[in-house]
Amino acid sequence: MAPQGIWSGTISFSLVAIPVQLVRAVAPGRISFRMLHNTDFSPLVRRMFCPRQGVQVPPEEIVRGFEIAPDRFLPITDEELESLSPERSRTIEISQFIDMAEVDPLYYDHPYYLVPLKGGEKSYRLLAEAMRQTNRAGLARLVLAEREHLVAIRSTEGALSLVTLHYNEELLPAQAIAPGAAKGSAEMKARIKRSIKRMIAEFEPEKYEDSRRTKLLDILKRKAQEQAPVEPPPIAAEEGEGPPDLVAALETIMTDLRKGR
Amino acid sequence: MNRKFVEVEGQRLSLSNLEKKLYPSCSFTKAHVLDYYRRIADRLIPHLRDRAVTLKRYPDGVEEEFFFEKHCPPHPEWVQTAEIVLKGQKRMTACLINDQATLLWVVNLAALELHVPLAGAASPETPDAMVFDLDPGEPAELLACAQVALILRELLSRLGLKAFVKGSGRKGLHVYVPLNSAGATFVDTKGFSRTVALMLQKNYPELVTERMAKEERRGKVFINWAQNDAQKTMICAYSLRGGEKPTVSFPMGWEELEQLARERKPEGFWVSPETALERVGKDGDLFHEVLAMKQRLPHM
Repeated sequence: MAPQGIWSGTISFSLVAIPVQLVRAVAPGRISFRMLHNTDFSPLVRRMFCPRQGVQVPPEEIVRGFEIAPDRFLPITDEELESLSPERSRTIEISQFIDMAEVDPLYYDHPYYLVPLKGGEKSYRLLAEAMRQTNRAGLARLVLAEREHLVAIRSTEGALSLVTLHYNEELLPAQAIAPGAAKGSAEMKARIKRSIKRMIAEFEPEKYEDSRRTKLLDILKRKAQEQAPVEPPPIAAEEGEGPPDLVAALETIMTDLRKGR
Repeated sequence: MNRKFVEVEGQRLSLSNLEKKLYPSCSFTKAHVLDYYRRIADRLIPHLRDRAVTLKRYPDGVEEEFFFEKHCPPHPEWVQTAEIVLKGQKRMTACLINDQATLLWVVNLAALELHVPLAGAASPETPDAMVFDLDPGEPAELLACAQVALILRELLSRLGLKAFVKGSGRKGLHVYVPLNSAGATFVDTKGFSRTVALMLQKNYPELVTERMAKEERRGKVFINWAQNDAQKTMICAYSLRGGEKPTVSFPMGWEELEQLARERKPEGFWVSPETALERVGKDGDLFHEVLAMKQRLPHM
């Protein structure tokens, strides 16, 4: 199945403009479950509840607040949030070409592929090829779901892939975690280095699998064969057929119509 | 990119990509689309006037991706807009297409389809009309829709309500009941249309369903009463549709519908832009009363 596009636009730099579609590079691997009511297996929905008034709160009565201390909030409006949204943009403008080896993988956020759209295949192929040969990645900005992201575009086996990068201030500094310099342990260090050397291997991702997922799929497959699925009762009779006068008038009309009167 | 500058009603417009085939299978270009909208403008604009229009844009033609645009895209300063705030929704700025210059400006953005709410921008919670959106579930087709529309017309007329019908330009029919009175709410129109849909389902179970679920719609005509909602939009009368070939959502007379149903001629429901222009030239706007006729829903 072709992956579903989540954005389409153009990659551009200097004089090149390539129409592309953005698709997820990772299919959702998590198996998710619906919450059901154990008395009749009806699927459940979430509702907002106000514990102080003991009532369910409709959407038009919900506002946002930033918690500065317990029970102290700064309210913020939709307009204020909207004013922060970047201008919607349909281009990924490459501003620089960088060496990906300089980017610490800690910066990597979400991986995507770029798929060429009609008319863009040739320049897409040329760009992917040139980037592979120069071993460079394009640095650009992309507006996705009201947020501007810093992204890196790379050549991956003839295709262009894109990874969104964390902003610098999002990343927690490693200094806080690294302990101070160790003294007089040259021998220990040499031993660790020897161990590492012995264990050097190629990275073969196909050798590893999510064993929980596999086991869970086995359970589900077995269940599907062994037992009938549970079903909630059909949605209860409609909340009345409508205003009684109208229903009565319509019933008379229907009877007349069917008798051809 | 080839551009052409034209002056429409004193506004200078830059039209782009005029040779682009927006309907590639029949070489119907952007120039053809603009020409259709220019010539139908006088009939179309009254139905768009002062409504928060939703644009359905096909930047690379009908065979490529499209997107709906509710917010008015970046626009020249002479384009009129309206601020819409619906209950429980975010405020948004929508385009108002009140003149030919704005119409051609949005069409130049490859907005082949123009969708409008059933209420005006000034009172977005007050519907001007109630609609029955008839949608045939495969393998039911237009003739089944026509049958339901004719029953609906008779039923509404016995309730003292006049109704008007247009083709969706695709496979459905839209039956409109003009209201144009300040008292109506979407709660009323939704409740009324649902009650009618339920009654038709009960009496014509083989023909009609009012349930949204796809599997319940197979072989039946789905009466989509839920379109009577402040947040929903309908394809505007005289708008093009973004199908394989250019068709128009076109108002028709009841006698014509009866005849097409009698002669079993579903192809008569698909009106090309050319036929549309010819017919409005001859018959005028068969939908003009939808904008003016004042009616009240009885028994509510």
